[in-house]
Order: sequence, then C-alpha cells, then structure tokens
Amino acid sequence: MKWLQRNVRPEQIRELSLLLLIIVAVIFFGSLIDGYYTSRTFNRIASSVAIITVVAVGQTLVVLTRSIDLSVGSIVGCTAYFAGSLVAANSGLSPILSVLAAVALGAGMGTINGVIVAWGRVPAIITTLGTLAIYRGLLINFSGAKTVTTDSLPSWIVDLPRLTLFTIGGVEIRAMVALAIAIVVVFQLAISYLNFGRRFYAIGSNPEAAALIGLPARGIVFTAFALSGALAGTAGFMTLARFGNITVEAGIGLELQVVAAVVVGGVNIFGGSGTVIGAMLGAVMIGILEQSLFRLQISQFWLDALLGFLILLAVASDAVILQRLRALWSRTELKLVAKPPQGSDTAGSKRGKAGG
Amino acid sequence: MQSAASGHDRDGAKAPVLEMRNIAKRFAGTQALDDVSLTLEAGEIHALVGENGAGKSTLIKIMTGVHQPDRGEILVDGDPITIQSAAEAQRHGIAAIYQEPLLFPDLNVAENIFISHQDRGAVANWRKMFRQAEDILSELGVALDVRSPARGLTLAAQQSVEIAKAISLNVRVLIMDEPTASLSAHEVSKLFQLVRDLRDKGVAILFVSHRLEEVFEIADKITVFRDGRHISTAMRQDTTPRKAIADMVGRDMELLKPRQPAHYGGLLLSVRGLGREGVFEDVDFDIHRGEVLGFAGLIGAGRTDVGLALFGIEPATRGTIVFEGKPVTIRRPEEAMALGIAYVSEDRRQLGLSLPMSIAANISLPVLRRYLNRLGLIRTSEENKTAEFYRQRLEIRTPSVNVAVASLSGGNQQKVMLSKWLNTHPSLLILDEPTRGIDVGAKTEVHAMIGALAEEGIGIMLISSDLPEILAISDRVLVMREGRQMAIFDRDQADEETVMTAAMGQQDTAAVASGAAP
Repeated sequence: MKWLQRNVRPEQIRELSLLLLIIVAVIFFGSLIDGYYTSRTFNRIASSVAIITVVAVGQTLVVLTRSIDLSVGSIVGCTAYFAGSLVAANSGLSPILSVLAAVALGAGMGTINGVIVAWGRVPAIITTLGTLAIYRGLLINFSGAKTVTTDSLPSWIVDLPRLTLFTIGGVEIRAMVALAIAIVVVFQLAISYLNFGRRFYAIGSNPEAAALIGLPARGIVFTAFALSGALAGTAGFMTLARFGNITVEAGIGLELQVVAAVVVGGVNIFGGSGTVIGAMLGAVMIGILEQSLFRLQISQFWLDALLGFLILLAVASDAVILQRLRALWSRTELKLVAKPPQGSDTAGSKRGKAGG
Repeated sequence: MQSAASGHDRDGAKAPVLEMRNIAKRFAGTQALDDVSLTLEAGEIHALVGENGAGKSTLIKIMTGVHQPDRGEILVDGDPITIQSAAEAQRHGIAAIYQEPLLFPDLNVAENIFISHQDRGAVANWRKMFRQAEDILSELGVALDVRSPARGLTLAAQQSVEIAKAISLNVRVLIMDEPTASLSAHEVSKLFQLVRDLRDKGVAILFVSHRLEEVFEIADKITVFRDGRHISTAMRQDTTPRKAIADMVGRDMELLKPRQPAHYGGLLLSVRGLGREGVFEDVDFDIHRGEVLGFAGLIGAGRTDVGLALFGIEPATRGTIVFEGKPVTIRRPEEAMALGIAYVSEDRRQLGLSLPMSIAANISLPVLRRYLNRLGLIRTSEENKTAEFYRQRLEIRTPSVNVAVASLSGGNQQKVMLSKWLNTHPSLLILDEPTRGIDVGAKTEVHAMIGALAEEGIGIMLISSDLPEILAISDRVLVMREGRQMAIFDRDQADEETVMTAAMGQQDTAAVASGAAP
C-alpha cells in the first residue's frame, strides 16, 4: 500500500481502472456477440474511436481550463461538408491542402469561441451552446441542404479509411487510427512537458493564483478553444473520409460522445486535472459501447441514454471516489510532514545559514 | 541577493531595497492611502500593523502590482520604478505570501514552487525540478513529498511551499500578509525560524499581522498605519504593544479588558465522557447559566470538534449530554437548535453567512418560520425590525439593514453572524474563534458583547486560539490537546504559562522554547 501510494497517484488509479473496465467490456460483449474478436470489429471500433478521440483531445484542453466546448459537433459537420465540397469542386487539390483547409476552418470557428469566452467574458457553456446552433445554421444555409456524395469525391479520400499503414500481429493499423494516436501522444507530451502546456492545468486548478503570478489566463483559454476547433476540423476531415456521404446532419450529437469520453476518461469537469490519454481511454470505452450495441441491434437512442448515464455516473463517482482516494493519500502525506524530522529543525537552519 | 550590492545612492551609502515615497491611492469615495511612506532595508523584518481599513492591504497591492498609486514614487535600490503587474513585481524581486496561500491544488509541490519562474525554458525538466525542490525544502527543514499534489496539504505546509517559492525566485522583498492567522503555536514558531533565516540571508521582510504579541516577537522595526496614514515607525526596543495599540486606534486603550467574573446561575449543560471515534475522547465539563467556559488549545486539538458534536454537525459517538436537567442526544443541528443551542462558526464566509444576501435576510434565516405570514410569504417589515434591533444593540455599522453582507467589514460581518444566532434565543452559545481576523476595536466590542450575553444568563462555550482573549473573558478555562481534555482551570489559576504548558504537553513546550530562541 505504501509503495502504491508513493508511486501511483489517485488519478492514475482512476485511469487504470478504466482500462480494466474496457477489458471487462470487451470480454462481456465477446461472449454475447459471435465473431466479436475479429479484425473487422477492431477496425469498426477503431475508426469510430479515432474520430471521437481527436475531438476529445481538444475538449480535454478546454475542460482543463474550467470551460467546455459544446460546438464541436457543429464544427465537425461544417468542416466535413466544407472540405467535401472543396475537393469535389477542385479534384486536383492536393491532399495536404485539403486537410489544412478543414483544420483552418475548424480553428477559425474555435477562435470565435475563444474570443467570446476569453475577452467577451461570456460563460463557455453559453457561448458554445450559441455557436453550436449558429454554426449548424450556417451550414444548412450555405449548403442549401445539399449532400456531399461519395461519387463526387476523388479516389484518394474514398480509399483513405482503408489505408493500412502497418500490421501488428494480424491487426491492421489504419492511417486514421495512427493519426489519432499521434495526436494523443503529441498533446499528452505537450501538456506534461511544455511549460506552456502546464499552464492549462494551472489556470484550471486555481485561476486566482494564476492571475496573481501573472499567467495570461485569457490567452490560455483562447488557445484551448482555438486548438479544440482545429482538432474538430481534423476530425471533420476524418468524418468526410470515413462516411463519404455528408449531409447537413453530420456530427450532430457528437458533443455528447466527446464530453462523455472526456469525463469518463477522468478529466475533472471543474478543471485542473486529467490527461489526454485518459480522454482517449474514455473514447475507446464509448466506441466499444457504440459499436457493440449496434451489433446487438440495440437502438441509437439507448446509446445516447447510456452515454448520459455514464457522464452522470463518472462525475458523481469522481466526486466521491477520487476524494476518498485523495484523502487516503494525503493522510499518509500529512503523517510524513507531522513526523518530527529528527532534529531537522535546527540542522536544517544551520545548513541554511552555511549555504547562504 | 546578488544585486543587493548594486544599490547605492549619491552619498555612497547603501540605498534601501524598496522605498515607497508619498504614496496616495483613492478608491471610489475613500482615501485608502494618503501620502504614505515606508522603507524596507535588506536583512530586516519590518512589521506593519493597523486596524482593518488602515491601508495595509492597499499598500501591499501597490507593491505587488495589483493596483497603481495615484501619486508617489516606488524606488528599488534607489532607482525609481513602476510596478504594473505581478510578473513585474517578481522581476524586481518582490513576492508576497498571503494568509491563505494561493497554490495550485492539482499541481505537485515542486511545480508549485517553480511555476512562476519566467525563465524556466519551454520544456519542463521534471527530474531537475524535483531535485531542486527537494534541495530547497530540506534547506528549510521541511519534510514534504515534492511529487505529491498540493491538494490536502496543511496550511502550514502550504506556507512552507510559498516560502520555498520565494527562495527559489531569489526574492529580495518578501511581503507576508497575516501569515500566522491559521497556524498553531508550534507551526508559528517554525515559520518564525524560517523568516529569521531569510532575514539573515539579507531578505527584506514586510510582516503584516493583527497579533501584536507575534509582531513584538519577530519584528526589528514596527510601523503603524491608521486610516490610510502613516502614524509611526519605531525600532522594536523603542516601543511597546500598548503604544502600538494607542497609535492604531488613535486613543490610549487597555490591552484586553478582563471581564468582571460573572455570578452564574444553575447548571445548564453537563457533558460526561463525550467522544467521537478517532477525533476526541473522554471530554467532561459543565457549563452554568451565565458562565463563559473557554476552550484553549492548539489548532487541531479537537476543540472545534467538541463544538460540532454539541451542535449535531458531527455528532458524538460516545458519552452523555445532560442539557437543562434532561439527558439528550443531538444528532442533527435542527435538534440542537430546538434545544436552544447556537453555534457561531469560525468560518464566516463558508459556513456562517450568505454574503450576497442582505443583513436582515441573514439574521432571519435560521428561524424563518417566525417571519412567515399566513400565506407562507416572508414579512420583510418584521425581518427589518429584528435586524434594526440587533444593528443598534451590536452596533453594526451599515447604512441600512438591507445591504448585502458582502459589503461589510470583517468585524461587522461577525456581528451579523452573532445577531443571526442570538435571534434564535439560545440558552447555550458556542462561539468558535469569534474574533479571528477582525481588528482591535471590533474585538473589544465583541468581548463586551460576550460579557453582556453572559449577564443575561446565556451559557457560553468560547473556543479561541487567542490565549489573551480566553484568559480575559472566561470564567473557567478547559484545555485540550490532541483530542484529549488536559485540564480545567479556574479563572484565578489560569495564566498564559499554565494553559500553554497544558496545551502543548511537556515535550512540545521544550521544543517550542528551543525553537523560538534566537
């Protein structure tokens, strides 16, 4: 127990137990569904998870700063439709430019959110609830409710979802999954090791203290929203590639899945703690539920209800379980402090004087 | 500290590290600071005292770049500067530590120490950060796990982290705003050792405190502010607490006026073998009508827990309570209130008052039923009448009983809180740290109030960490230590030494005595 307390943080226990739950879920659905353990199931789940994960990474950054971005579903829809129309109209456009266009549009929409929240002082939940409706409205208006169809897309996009980068033990790792994993790794490293990344935690953890030491709170919140938008744009392009047919309804309700992934993944909805890897695990959990319920021919409405339940369960249980764990941990820490540091009162000050 | 030598003025003498000259600051309608000057020298502990509203906080905020002065100059090493932001204050080597340390609960101790370093590069080197944090903390003689999050650290530990932060930044001016308000005596003596070490390393320290005994223990120089003006600055040996108080309040005042012993009546409350699993045990005491029973002890001795048990917030698990001659069990605050017990909590903001609500609404809240008409609506005129009564009786200073409690000063908020519970017409009043963080003037008023309530026959359980306060107004003093009752002293047996000896146990007394020796 002592070893555990020294080397593992309560938050990490939270993530490990989620990993365990995922394994349990896989075994459970494997026993219900014939032919569950196949590469086809893996690929279906993985491509669904890849999209949710990319958006959830951005959402994590936003939630860390005590905000929330509800407009991601609309941004994914807009960018998927916009990128689809763009490549359909200019079939010679290079793949890189088309992806960049989707990312840039997403970043632009995220920037609008960021400016309104950081400088307009409008609460994030209201701002993004507004832009959720506005972005969707713009999409319907500008698209004239037309549909992007697979036929109109160049072949490189249509083939993209099946593009396999490499194979590990018979499991094909597809390009979009690899992209999602790369994004997770890059952002996890950035928020763990970049001083700029640590600021997301700082201002979410204690905004007053952050202001007092002169951290640019507005700039950080703004950056979180802009990045969330850019990542939603990336996911928009992935959605276009995956489905080919994009209607004005693309991405509707995605915010529910993304917020569920982030919260189930252990990111504190009140800011300041959580990891991108946790959010990815949350996305995996939700992807498994989504695809398995689909295979069991259970209605989509039940999935949404289940997601809603998971969000409530995760937030409510975090409040209790994580607090208990933390209390358990800090109690031992307090003992460490309270333990009279044998004569270190005087020894320490002597050393201090010698050093100074 | 390396640049301390660079400061010379024209005479060639060393210029003070920080000099505030003729500073003035006006906020809507009030002159917070009026032509105030203050000089901080390297290697000196300079105490700043004054009642609430004297301008101490405003001066600190100007020094740390939160506010800009309307007039006046700030000089560092003799050179005039401006401080536009906290980051700029930090560049000049000025840092502040507050009563409630402002740490990041989700970040670990090491990161909290280094978070405000502007020059730590783009990439965090965790290994180096942990090692340096450990070095600084061990130099301070503080045992803390640098990898654990700051969440859950004791206030004393949090302050150690703040001090480590200041050391890591090579601060030259350290402002400490009421750093001891929430610490136990042992923690205070440890903090003072750290402060003296810092001073010996050449740091200029501005120590702001309400506790005069502490000021006179630690300060080299003492400055008094009153109503935004500089009143006096003197070396410690050239002044006395009495003179300092006279300067603070503008009149010669008794240090703490002992209350006349009460002629108390019949037995009100009798507690035997009271305990709560793992928190406190075997507490026996009686309180008579009109008696003030003081509860002395260090922070964490379990005094508040006894109060919480009697009020049913955290009910006792063992022992018997006899109240007004009848054995009772108290499981919920509602039951305690029905018996006639009121609890005025130590934390005005979180537990006691609803800050955005008006004074009148706060006072009527616990007994709102009394103020309802037949339709179940609140009769505001009755509410206001009650509030007016207490406003006059307790001298609550406010333009109206309908203003939000948030707009009142700490002392007046405390009076509203007291009014709220007096309005429940209690026969037993539990007061938990009733004068923490309020100024000397308001403190004497609260003391007089406690005396008057006892005269009326209310039994009072007074929990306070302010020993002179306990000794001045209690009829008897109960001392607790680590969840156990150590002794009950009658008024004439109780003095600071006997109470402190009991509160600390023999061992700790020795430790503090040696720790406090310069």
